[in-house]
Amino acid sequence: MTAVQVLGVLGSPHRHGNTELLLDRFLDGALAAGGEVEKVVLTDLQYRPCRGCNACHKTGTCVLHDDAIPLIERMTRIDCCVIASPIYSMGITAELKGLVDRGQYLWAQRWILKTRSETLADPACRRGVFISTAGLSKETVFDAALPVMTAFFHGLGFADYDRLTVNGMDLYGGIKGHPTALSEASALGEAIIRDLHSQCSVRP
Amino acid sequence: MEIKVLAFAASPRRHGNSETLLDWVIAAMEEKDGVVVEKVVLNEADVNPCWGCNACEKLNRCVQDDGMTVLYDQIVDADVVVLALPVYCLGVCAQAKALIDRTQVFRSRKYVLHLPIVPPERAGKRVGLLIATAGQTWPYVFDGAVASVKCFFHVSAIRGQETRYLLINGVDKVGAVETHPTARTEAAAIADEVIALITERLSA
Repeated sequence: MTAVQVLGVLGSPHRHGNTELLLDRFLDGALAAGGEVEKVVLTDLQYRPCRGCNACHKTGTCVLHDDAIPLIERMTRIDCCVIASPIYSMGITAELKGLVDRGQYLWAQRWILKTRSETLADPACRRGVFISTAGLSKETVFDAALPVMTAFFHGLGFADYDRLTVNGMDLYGGIKGHPTALSEASALGEAIIRDLHSQCSVRP
Repeated sequence: MEIKVLAFAASPRRHGNSETLLDWVIAAMEEKDGVVVEKVVLNEADVNPCWGCNACEKLNRCVQDDGMTVLYDQIVDADVVVLALPVYCLGVCAQAKALIDRTQVFRSRKYVLHLPIVPPERAGKRVGLLIATAGQTWPYVFDGAVASVKCFFHVSAIRGQETRYLLINGVDKVGAVETHPTARTEAAAIADEVIALITERLSA
């Protein structure tokens, strides 16, 4: 049986900050459970935001040729797709929003052109994960970001996704001051990869 | 009395639905005595995303020097700030998110450095207007965008009680807003309301 492929996508522009530390711990857990792990940092890539030209509504492909589409294509096929972003101004970062908006062609393929199957992935074989941190302590701080991620994960073929959202970074003085978040992240990474190894019956 | 209006067309698509609404609002505002409107096409304004470096918490300014440098001053100088944007994937378009996140400088100024955003005599005398369009007709389609824009206005010293909204859903194709039954009337009405409100605040 081939190893479960895990792709972590870091949407934070702040290297080695709270969100990336949390993502790294998730990926450590995934690796420990036998996953094949790769991390992509969005600020290392070259891509432009969606131009809103709607050309993909007719052609199913994006008119922009840069690093966004090859990455999104990988995300549509990967076994475990982990997307990490801090909350800025009640939403995901502009870098990640730029990538999410470029996924419009997936929506066009599925709902307008009908060239992409409406059937979403079997969660026994593919899992999506959203990792996020927020400075504010209020419980509602992720509310506005989650529907955006739901739409993106849906476009990538995931009916649902696991959420590891940690608020109160200002209060805790960062993720290292949080009593449980880092260990929860590695435990979640380990558990999801273990599930994917054991529960997916069609993996070659 | 001069009323300075700063109006952002934040859509990547020129002369699309959100910009058309903005132009209707601007035209109605400019009919009033003393109103001077500066329109900024964000896609041509060279505004990078926030780096999340938090340097503004110490420097009281952004370390990036791009199109945002002059916009900081323009936002502070304006009596009315209008932000027109399309909703993409249940959030503000990535271009608008970059602008919103860059106002982190104001958040640092206010909450970390405890400095005023505007002089005390102008506090409570600024008005904000969000103009947003969405292709989907879901009633909650604007929720994510409104949450982020509230942060933008709040840190820019524009209070909730002086913020107005023109939200038009169900418009996707170029020109759809032209055939919308009420959009043009709503645009003229909200322009009147905003100018009446700022006139009242400035003369108080």
